Amino acid sequence: MSDSAPTTWQQRSGWAGVTQTGRFGRAGGDPGVRLDLLGRQALATIIVRPGEEAALDRLMQERLGVALPATGRAAFASAGSLVWSAPGQWLVMGPAASALADLPQRLAGVAAVTDQSDGRALVRVGGADARALLAKGVSIDLHPSVFAAGATAVTSVAHINIQLWQVDDAPTYVLAVPRGFAGSFWSWLTAAAAEYGYDVQQVPA
Amino acid sequence: MSLALDRATSAAAPATSPATLQPFRTAAGGLIDRSQPLPFTFDGHAYTGVAGDTLASALLANGVRLVGRSFKYHRPRGILSAGSEEPNALVELRTGARREPNTRATVAELYEGLETASQNRWPSLRYDALSINALAAPVFAAGFYYKTFMWPASFWEKLYEPLIRRAAGLGRAAEAPDPDHYDRMHAHCDVLVIGGGPAGLAAALAAGRAGARVILVDEEATPGGRLLAERRTIGALAGTTWAGDAIGELRAMPDVRILSRTTLFGVYDHGQYGAIERVSDHVAVPEEHAPRQRYWRIAAKRAILAAGAIERPHVFGGNDRPGVMLAGAVRAYINKYGVLPGREFAVFTTSDDGWRTVADAVAAGARVVAVIDSRFEVRAGLTQAAVAAGARIMLGAQVIDTAGRPELAAITVMSDAGRTETIRCDCLAMANGWNPIVHLDSHLSRKPVWDARISAFVPGGLPGGMTAVGAAKGQFLLSDCLDGGARAGAAAAADCGFAAVSPPPYTTDPESDAHEPLWRARAGRGKAFVDFQNDVAATDIELAHREGFRAVEHLKRYTTLGMATDQGKTSNMAGLGIMAELTGQPLPQVGTTVFRPPFTPVAIGALAGHHRGQDFRATRHTPSHGWAEANGAVFVTSGQWLRAAYFPQTGETDWLETVRREVSTVRSAVGICDVSTFGKIDIQGRDAIKLIDKVCANAFASLPVGKARYAIVLREDGFVMDDGTVTRLGDTHFVMTASTANAARVMQHLEYAHQWLYPHLDVQMTSVSEQWAQFAIAGPHARDTLRRIIDPAVDISNEAFPFLAAAAITVGGGIAARLFRISFSGELAYELAVPAGYGDAAWRAILNAGASYGITPYGTEALSVMRIEKGHVATAEINGQTTARDLGLGGMMAKKKDFIGRLMKERPALIEPERPIVVGVRPVDPNDRIRAGSHFIGVDVTPGPEADEGYLTSVAFSPVLGQWIGIGLLKNGAQRHGERVRAYDPVRNGDVVVEICAPCFVDPKEEKLRV
Repeated sequence: MSDSAPTTWQQRSGWAGVTQTGRFGRAGGDPGVRLDLLGRQALATIIVRPGEEAALDRLMQERLGVALPATGRAAFASAGSLVWSAPGQWLVMGPAASALADLPQRLAGVAAVTDQSDGRALVRVGGADARALLAKGVSIDLHPSVFAAGATAVTSVAHINIQLWQVDDAPTYVLAVPRGFAGSFWSWLTAAAAEYGYDVQQVPA
Repeated sequence: MSLALDRATSAAAPATSPATLQPFRTAAGGLIDRSQPLPFTFDGHAYTGVAGDTLASALLANGVRLVGRSFKYHRPRGILSAGSEEPNALVELRTGARREPNTRATVAELYEGLETASQNRWPSLRYDALSINALAAPVFAAGFYYKTFMWPASFWEKLYEPLIRRAAGLGRAAEAPDPDHYDRMHAHCDVLVIGGGPAGLAAALAAGRAGARVILVDEEATPGGRLLAERRTIGALAGTTWAGDAIGELRAMPDVRILSRTTLFGVYDHGQYGAIERVSDHVAVPEEHAPRQRYWRIAAKRAILAAGAIERPHVFGGNDRPGVMLAGAVRAYINKYGVLPGREFAVFTTSDDGWRTVADAVAAGARVVAVIDSRFEVRAGLTQAAVAAGARIMLGAQVIDTAGRPELAAITVMSDAGRTETIRCDCLAMANGWNPIVHLDSHLSRKPVWDARISAFVPGGLPGGMTAVGAAKGQFLLSDCLDGGARAGAAAAADCGFAAVSPPPYTTDPESDAHEPLWRARAGRGKAFVDFQNDVAATDIELAHREGFRAVEHLKRYTTLGMATDQGKTSNMAGLGIMAELTGQPLPQVGTTVFRPPFTPVAIGALAGHHRGQDFRATRHTPSHGWAEANGAVFVTSGQWLRAAYFPQTGETDWLETVRREVSTVRSAVGICDVSTFGKIDIQGRDAIKLIDKVCANAFASLPVGKARYAIVLREDGFVMDDGTVTRLGDTHFVMTASTANAARVMQHLEYAHQWLYPHLDVQMTSVSEQWAQFAIAGPHARDTLRRIIDPAVDISNEAFPFLAAAAITVGGGIAARLFRISFSGELAYELAVPAGYGDAAWRAILNAGASYGITPYGTEALSVMRIEKGHVATAEINGQTTARDLGLGGMMAKKKDFIGRLMKERPALIEPERPIVVGVRPVDPNDRIRAGSHFIGVDVTPGPEADEGYLTSVAFSPVLGQWIGIGLLKNGAQRHGERVRAYDPVRNGDVVVEICAPCFVDPKEEKLRV
């Protein structure tokens, strides 16, 4: 054994080792569910400091071009997305791993920024049966009159706390799952999706 | 076009050959498909039914009327009903792993190849050995358990219980694991309609037409309720056609969902409902990937209870004989299933609707020999069909007995004058009025109320948001069902903000609901059953009355009336009626027992759904899990986490050998342990230090940037909640750790403290437990190992990075990491945190880097051994009952600041000098083994609760000392080092003399820690 440090520091997605790509479940016809495993992207928690919400809103508009979303809402833009996650608290996402590196500095004095890029595994759920599939797990109402594109909820699936948001009216959803629970969550998701037939792919964020 | 209508149309076609093989199948009519024969077996005999049959209708079509034996007396039983209230026809469905006992044949849909068997009989259904129990009936009367099996007590477990279980069992559960899976669905709606009969369909139509989101739940394969079982007309349409059209219209509405084959089994608070959909029970094997059943949790703003009513049997001698059936069921078999349950019918009625049976039977080609109505006068015109059929009409008469071997062959009728005569018949239809199904509206503890007009209980105060309609409300006329349903549907939609359409009036064929109940007929020779499923007879109720068990809840428990799986659906009212007669009370004063969910039995598997076996509960995997699994680690659950307990190597034969090697390697070289499971909380803000100072009992204001400190968190009552570390990463940036077991609790506690106790503080907190992988690297070569993976610019020499130093560093060429010099093992040790995505890589890199030093991965067992050797307290000591003083940490309590738990920890009992305090323990004889849980008592003292002086909380075999050691809580322990006591463990025959010592066995001067 040489004394030099190993040279490869391979980064692993939260889905590594628990997911398989390909077509599964009900065969024949189009799969009712599409599961896109999202690659790593920048993801951070932003918590506003007392009395600084207006300042934070202005800074985020400057930086991402979107306003701070209200309770239960999410806003998407090419530079990054904001998803409400608790009172005075948002998830911010950037397209590339280093996309948000400037945020702690930029928001200093206005909000606390905490990196969570590795803490969650993200999956995009689409297809004709996406809504029915999620209704098996979440107890919130996903009817379009109640929960539409731009809506988000912190809820639980199969006894696992997750956050989900709806990205379009197809409908397509993104689910953020605590990394350590990825295996148990995937076991539930694939069991629930099997009757519709599902297609799993890895996609860049 | 609906299924019902399709079937109605096809049923009009001439009978095809398979049906002619079924001797009791009618030539035409019914909502069945005679062109689709379905072979099945019952008790090994081959029969054929047709599509649309239930098992009960198919058995009747084949002339099989004896289908089971009763619970207690093993009496021959047949089919009483045509619905989910069935108490008699309980069978086993399917075989092998899919065998399902106690299924009601009346709701089991027939499919090709269905294998079924009767229950509770030996050697055969027809010749059952235990039917001899019936001869001993006096012994088995109400309360026989209490009277017979009282003495001697020791006989209960060994003799009585096994005997009773063998004799009185029902079906046999499958012995193999269930091969099918069960699913769950959450649904929301404006209007939930419970029951798809005429009232429910009218309600759903009205609400759906208004635009409301509607869910219609119906038990059967096709909604329609009594419309499918009776020959009725609505407007110009046959009832079945109207139902088919209604279903078609509802299916076309985008926001209406029809759940057929679904039983709404429970009503819960806040408009929550539970239902079970039998997705695949009507097929041999579920379609690939389809669940057998699906559990629905429905949240509804409004609910319309249209669950219908259950017909009441008559109580008379021999009323349980196969061939004696409910009149509504007889009509259902004729009209819905095209089956004649007999050839020669008699009707025993107290109500006008019972007379409908006559015309239906005659139209289907049967003979009606007699109609016995206990009323002395009936409405003119009611008897018309019976007169035309040549049936005898016997008013003011009652059926008092039956005969047959065992199927019904004759009845004994007693006239008003007391004259008896025997009438030959093979099917007796009983009509004694109907009971609204008041189960669901009673689930939230609301009692039903008596309605004298119909002599039945109707819903009382309904749960919030619920209205009752139709028969479920006691309105038995079809026109009332339709109009009431439509009004309620429109009103419910309006309540949800939809413009309600005024419902159209419905017209129907003439009808009457006149009725005079008869709680029991005059006594005959045979046993008159009230509760068929639990074999409770009218005489049992008399006995309960004589012996003082008159209150309705006493009556129920003494006789077991209504306590079978049918919850007394067909029996409760008769029981109450008889008790009312006996006590001379009006019936409503007798009261009702409580109805509880589920309405019909629900499989536990359906409630568990996905969560069985490995998925019983969610588990969390650490970043090194993949490596550990591939390298043969043995895992232990720690909360939801799966942690490596130890890593056996080839040739190691027991866990202790492995753990000893891991400990020795750490103490002599280096080891690595995944500690990512600890809770990690990121705390920022101008006042972060103030909050930390309030939450932690030791002082923190002085903590400099770049330092970690041990932290003790107290509950408000002064006991220790948890321990961990707080590290100051920057002036206003901290990271706090909590133990694996208490991670969530500590986070909650911090949130509580911030949001409720100190809301003015400028603090921002979030959990980063999942964000960071964290590994302990411990042992004399820890620094050497670490040097090989951290970036060269980072100086971790003892001078630059002493004990309790902490810093943000980089590893692996620029990867952001955090390094803490903290130690749980007492060795030179670090904890390295990297973003979880690099956890696996870092773990492998560290193992690589330490290979030349002989590095070992170690698990929670070695971790625990080393902390016991060092006397560090953990969950076994921080058990919610210990104070910091008890744990030997009293000296760390801050004196100059306020913190949560400060005053409460000073309560007199908590500073009592005699209180048990942490000590070290080692057996005087080093070969002795000690066990956690052993109690401390004096060496020469007689064991007993009064001699108890504390107990051993943790033990380990110490490789360093070569013997077992332990930590315990001992009265006045700090003053007793050197003293000997016994570690007494009578449960495991442990009685070992031990010496008390300071709770630290290895390197008490901490020379290894700070090098």
